[in-house]
Amino acid sequence: MRIDYRIEHPVSLHAAFDVEGFTVLLGASGEGKSLLLQAIAGLTPARGEPFGGMAPQHRAVGYLPQGYALFPHLNAWQNVAFALRGAQRRAHAMQLLERVHMAEFAERHPAALSGGQQQRVALARALARRPQLLLLDEPTSALDPVTRDDVVAELIGEVHEFGIPALAVSHDPHLAAVADRLVLMHDRRIIQIGPPGVVYANPVNGAAARLLGHRNVHHGRIEGARRLLWQGGSIVLPRHDGDVADGDVDWTIDPAAIRLVDARDALPDTIPASIEVRQVIGRVVQLGVRCGKGRLWVSVPVDQAIPEAVAVQLPTEAIRWWKRNGDT
Amino acid sequence: MILTAFRLRLPAFVSLLTLLLLAAPFAGLAFMTSWRSFGFTDGDGSAITVSLGYSVLALILIIALGTPLAWWLARHRIRGAWLIDTLLLLALLTPPLALGLLLASMYGPYGPAGSLLERAGLVLTNSGPAFVMAQFYSALPYYVIAARAAFEGVPRELEQIALTLGHSPWRSFVHVSLPLARLGLAAAIALAWVRALGEFGAVLIVAYYPQGIPVKLWVNLQNIGLSAVYPLLWVFFLVAMPLPLVLGLAARRRHLI
Repeated sequence: MRIDYRIEHPVSLHAAFDVEGFTVLLGASGEGKSLLLQAIAGLTPARGEPFGGMAPQHRAVGYLPQGYALFPHLNAWQNVAFALRGAQRRAHAMQLLERVHMAEFAERHPAALSGGQQQRVALARALARRPQLLLLDEPTSALDPVTRDDVVAELIGEVHEFGIPALAVSHDPHLAAVADRLVLMHDRRIIQIGPPGVVYANPVNGAAARLLGHRNVHHGRIEGARRLLWQGGSIVLPRHDGDVADGDVDWTIDPAAIRLVDARDALPDTIPASIEVRQVIGRVVQLGVRCGKGRLWVSVPVDQAIPEAVAVQLPTEAIRWWKRNGDT
Repeated sequence: MILTAFRLRLPAFVSLLTLLLLAAPFAGLAFMTSWRSFGFTDGDGSAITVSLGYSVLALILIIALGTPLAWWLARHRIRGAWLIDTLLLLALLTPPLALGLLLASMYGPYGPAGSLLERAGLVLTNSGPAFVMAQFYSALPYYVIAARAAFEGVPRELEQIALTLGHSPWRSFVHVSLPLARLGLAAAIALAWVRALGEFGAVLIVAYYPQGIPVKLWVNLQNIGLSAVYPLLWVFFLVAMPLPLVLGLAARRRHLI
């Protein structure tokens, strides 16, 4: 489904992209992502397609706002039945609750449900209208971090099962990673669209890399002879097809590519560093390493010996960089 | 130790003291009423009918006109809202007697509105409609302010969700705004009822007749004395209490509407 909306107030925003399957619009807070969903739902003045100019009650959208907005005075089945008419309301609501595995909680009020359970009731309620498009505002923000991945997996499974295109807006790279299609927004503009694998592998600029949760995205400067200057160190960049003009850049490096060396060995092209934090993730340790005023994340196997005084070596072939155009 | 225990209980002590202060006049009433010669004077019965009947009418008018205004004020941010606030405060602040005088000069037989309405057959002096009008004016601002606060407490998002679920704004109001604002609305209705039923000053000026309970209490005091005031006052409590009491209890239940 093609989305093309233009908002003037309270912020100026234009967004045009296709929603296929579970599409995530990834952007930082304050980009106006929630506003875009409200515009599509008809809750804020905007121009655009689909549903342009229709009253909210006539738009075939299922809208799940942040926090899900279940009616606190109604229990789970009554919340779902709220969107239904006719004598079979209750039976129909129960069917929908069954589809989202919430039938046993039908009599519970929202206050007695967990975040994930509320989300499923809200999903059943949004689906009760048979919408053509699902809108989800920050669907992971109210979830318990321990169960989050399971809840998200369930949500996406249900969205696919119901076969309705869904647009989720979020600033959560974890949610972006499970999307069918990813749309990146920066400075109120769409900067990149594509399948998550492609977008993750080739972010169009530093801002995109930061949105995607890439660690080690830093400002730097390129000066004569392809030298990247950063935090007092300098790295010679590899030959590049394009022209390498001097100037400010965003650059990044894969944490797994960084080599941790002993500072006492005095190897060339190293940056002196000190270890700030150890983050153990399964068989891998992410080390937060301070270099001057910046921090690099270095990924090492959990059993690797770490020298007392460390320095980091950044293999030039692992460095990616983008020219900064003032606004990124 | 003892000091700490005292500090912990201080709120309870203060609460008890406040309640005692509150109860004192009524304990006095129970004590001073001459229960052996408990009886009513002429016109007490009709005063009860007048008070109850017209107060119900006034309350219906207040709810019918005040609810849309309260909802509108709660939901729309408009320029010059302070003017509306000032107007509501003005209506609240006006001493009842002065309010009666203002009503008389506007709606009385020589007032600009009164002379017009009188030609249309609506007499707003010493009449049933005048009585209702005085109650309406004195209780409306209380209702509007309390009901506005009640509607402001309803998350706007829930009303909007009701729209996205296919409900018209009216159905969203009835099925979401009203039930979620019910506690505050019940308080607003109770407040308006109490204000309307107890109104003395404004009613005295524009509708000395027909006599409701507050005016009759004063008349009884003037003509007979305290012995004729207490029995009517007991009846007043008896008829005035059920509505706010029941409203308060019912609104606390989950399924009112």
